[in-house]
Amino acid sequence: MAERVFITGMGMITAIGDNVAENLGQLRQQRSGLGFTSYIDTIYQQVLPVAEVKHNNDALFALAGITSHEGYTRTTLLGLTAMREALRQAGITDVQTAPTGFINASTVGGMCDTEKVYFDIVDPTKSGTFLQYIDTLDCADCTQRIADTVGFTEHIATISTACSSSANALMFGARMIKQGFMPRMVCGGTEALTRFTLNGFNSLKNVDKQFCRPFDQQRTGLNLGEGAAYLVLESESFAKANNSRILAEFTGYCNANEAFHPTSPSPDGDGAYEAMKAALAMSGRTLEEVDYINVHGTATLNNDVSEGKALERLFGNNVPLFSSTKPFTGHTLAAAGAIEAIYAVLAIQQGLIFPNLNFKEKMEELNISPVTELMEGVSVNNVISNSFGFGGNNASLVISKYEG
Amino acid sequence: MKVKCYIQGMAAISPQATFEGDVFSAPLVHTDSNLLTCMEPDYKPFIPANSLRRMTRLLKMGLTTALQSIRDSGVEAIGPIVTGTGKGSLQDTEKFIREIEQYKETALNPTPFIQSTYNSVNGLIALQVKGTAYNNTFVHRGFSFENALLDSMMLLAEGAPNTLTGALEEMTAEHFYIKSRIGFWKSTPTDSRQLYVQQSPGSIAGEGATFFVLTGTPTAHSKAALTGFKMLYKPTEAKVAAGLAEFKENVDLVLTGRNGDSRYEHFYRQVDTLFPGVPQLPFKHLCGEHDTAGAFGMWLAAQILHTQQVPAQWFPMLEALPANINRILLYNHFYGEQHTMIVLERV
Repeated sequence: MAERVFITGMGMITAIGDNVAENLGQLRQQRSGLGFTSYIDTIYQQVLPVAEVKHNNDALFALAGITSHEGYTRTTLLGLTAMREALRQAGITDVQTAPTGFINASTVGGMCDTEKVYFDIVDPTKSGTFLQYIDTLDCADCTQRIADTVGFTEHIATISTACSSSANALMFGARMIKQGFMPRMVCGGTEALTRFTLNGFNSLKNVDKQFCRPFDQQRTGLNLGEGAAYLVLESESFAKANNSRILAEFTGYCNANEAFHPTSPSPDGDGAYEAMKAALAMSGRTLEEVDYINVHGTATLNNDVSEGKALERLFGNNVPLFSSTKPFTGHTLAAAGAIEAIYAVLAIQQGLIFPNLNFKEKMEELNISPVTELMEGVSVNNVISNSFGFGGNNASLVISKYEG
Repeated sequence: MKVKCYIQGMAAISPQATFEGDVFSAPLVHTDSNLLTCMEPDYKPFIPANSLRRMTRLLKMGLTTALQSIRDSGVEAIGPIVTGTGKGSLQDTEKFIREIEQYKETALNPTPFIQSTYNSVNGLIALQVKGTAYNNTFVHRGFSFENALLDSMMLLAEGAPNTLTGALEEMTAEHFYIKSRIGFWKSTPTDSRQLYVQQSPGSIAGEGATFFVLTGTPTAHSKAALTGFKMLYKPTEAKVAAGLAEFKENVDLVLTGRNGDSRYEHFYRQVDTLFPGVPQLPFKHLCGEHDTAGAFGMWLAAQILHTQQVPAQWFPMLEALPANINRILLYNHFYGEQHTMIVLERV
C-alpha cells in the first residue's frame, strides 16, 4: 500500500500578498490584485489589466533574501520568496536534514529579464552586464538558482505543461513519495509577467481589457498574473516520525490529455471531466463529499464552457460550490496550480469559500453559476483544484482535510 | 533508484543516418563548424501536408520520431506520453520575440507563441495518436530526458501498459551564437572526428529527437532492458565515483558523454579509474552536445545490445569488444551540472 501524502508547509507570493497570510487576508476582504503593469515595457500598459506583484526587483531581492544580484531573474526572486516561506512554515531550517526533492514549474523561465536585453545578446557589437542573463532564458535556470540558494541537492526537475505546470509538479512529487524514492518533496511553480506572454495570449485574442469575469455570460478573456507558490509534501511515515504539522492531505490527482486541439478545450470538457473523475476516484471520496471546486476558470470563452460542461456531466444537478480565484491573482500560468492548491488548503483550514469576483450574468450554455460572495463557517473537507493548459493538458488535484 | 523497464521500440533523428536505413553501413557524418545538424527525413509519410506547412522544425522532428518509434514497437494503443526538452522550439521562441519587436506588439500571428510552448510537441503527438492518457514535459537541461524516463518508469510501476518517452532539441544559428558568448562551444573550428583529442574549453553543438516505447514487462520484441538509473545534481567528483561504483558489476561496455570540454573532463576520468579494462565508447562526436544528448546515448546503447554490433564507421577508435555485450553503462553529464547514469541490459 502506497504511503499517504501530506501537505506540511506552504509559501506564496502573488499580486494579493507577499505570503500566505496576506493572500488569505485579501481573499477574505475580496480585494483583487488586478491593475496595470509598472514593470513590463508594453504598448498595452494602460490597456490590458494584469495582476502584478507590487514590488520592483530591488524590493524582491530583499524579500527573497538575496544579496548577490548577478543574473537573478524576477522569476527566480518570486520563487525564492515563496520557497523560503514554505520551508519556514514546514519548520525546515536545513533541507539537508532529510532527503528532499524539488520539483519546479515554469512556462517561460527568465524571459521577463532576457526579453529586455535579447537584442543586445544577439548583437556581436554589444557587450556588458546583460550577458549575465544569457543562460537564464530556459526554465531550469530559476529551478537551479532556487535549489542552490536553499540547498537542495537531491532530485530536482522542472516541468512545463503550460497552465497546468505546477499542478503536474505537485503530482510528480507526490508520486515520487508514494514510490518510496523520497520522503519529502517541495513542489510548485513560479511565473513572472512578460511582454512575450502578454502578447502571446493577446495574439490569441484571449485577453480581457476589463477585469476578467470567469463563468459570466459577458466574459471575453483572461488577465495574466504573476507569482510563485510551493508546497512541502511529506510521506505519512516521515511526517509522523518528524512530528510535522500536517496542514492537509493530498488525496487524489489526475493528469489526462484531451487530444482535441493545440490550444482549445473540447466543447464538452472531455479532458476536464476525465481528470476530475479520476482524481476523485483516487482520493476515495464520493461526488457528494466534494465541498468546493477551485475551478481553472480563466474567463476565456472556451475554457469556462468546457469546464462548466464537465462539472455538469460529472456532478449532474448537484454541482458543488465553485469559484475561480483568477480575478484575485490573474492567471499565473505555471504558478497557478500551486497557488490554487494553497487556496484549497486555506478553504479547508478556515472554512471559507472564496468568491468568484466580477460575476453578474449566468452563462446561457450552463445551468450553474459560481459563488459570488465570501462564505464563512463552511465545513470544507474535500476540494478539487483544476488546472488546464495548452496541448490539451488537464490536471485535477483533490486536497482533503487531515483526519488522522 | 530501483527501476526496471523494457524498450519495445525506438527511433532517432540525429546528425547521423539514424532514422532510415542501416546504421551499420552508414558513414560517419562529421563537421568542422562546431555544430552537428540533424539529417532530416522526408516528413510527408508521417504528417499530413496541411499540418506540415505550419509546423516548425523541432515539431516535425519530434512528432515524426515519436510516430516512427511507435511503428517500430508494434504497440497499437499508446499510453502516457512523456518528453524532455531543454529549450523547446527555439525557432518559434526567437520568431515571436522578433515579431513582437518588429510589429510593435500589434497584429501578431499567434502560431510561433503556441509552438514555442515547451509541451507543444507533446500536444501534437497526443492529437495525432489520440493519446488521452497522462501527458507531461520536463524542461531541465541535462535532466530533461532523464526526468521523463523516471516519470515513465513510475507510470509503468503504477500500471500503465506502456509509455511513449522521448527527447527533442534543436540548435538555431542565433542560439548557437548566444551560447558561444558564454563559452559553450570551442573557440576554434574543430573537426568533430578529433573531438576527444582536442581538449580545450567548450564542446561542439548538436541536436536531435529520440523516442522510445517502454513497457514494464518484456516481450519477444524487446530491444533492451533498463535496469539501473541515477541522477546526480552538481555532485563532487567523489559523489560521481560513488555513483558509478554502484553500477560496477559485469559491465561490458561504458558509453560516455565525453565531449572534449577540458573543464569537465575530470568527471569522465572517474570512469577510466573505476572501470579499468572495460571498453569505453564516447558518442558526442555523433550527436553533438545538447540538453538531451543522453537520449541519443540510450538509443545507441539499446541498438548495440539488440544487434550485438557496434556501427564500425562511427567508431574509428574502436578497441576490441567482448564477444557478447550484455550490459552497458551510460554515463553523461551536461556541463558538469546534471549527471546521469543508466544501465541497459541485453534481453
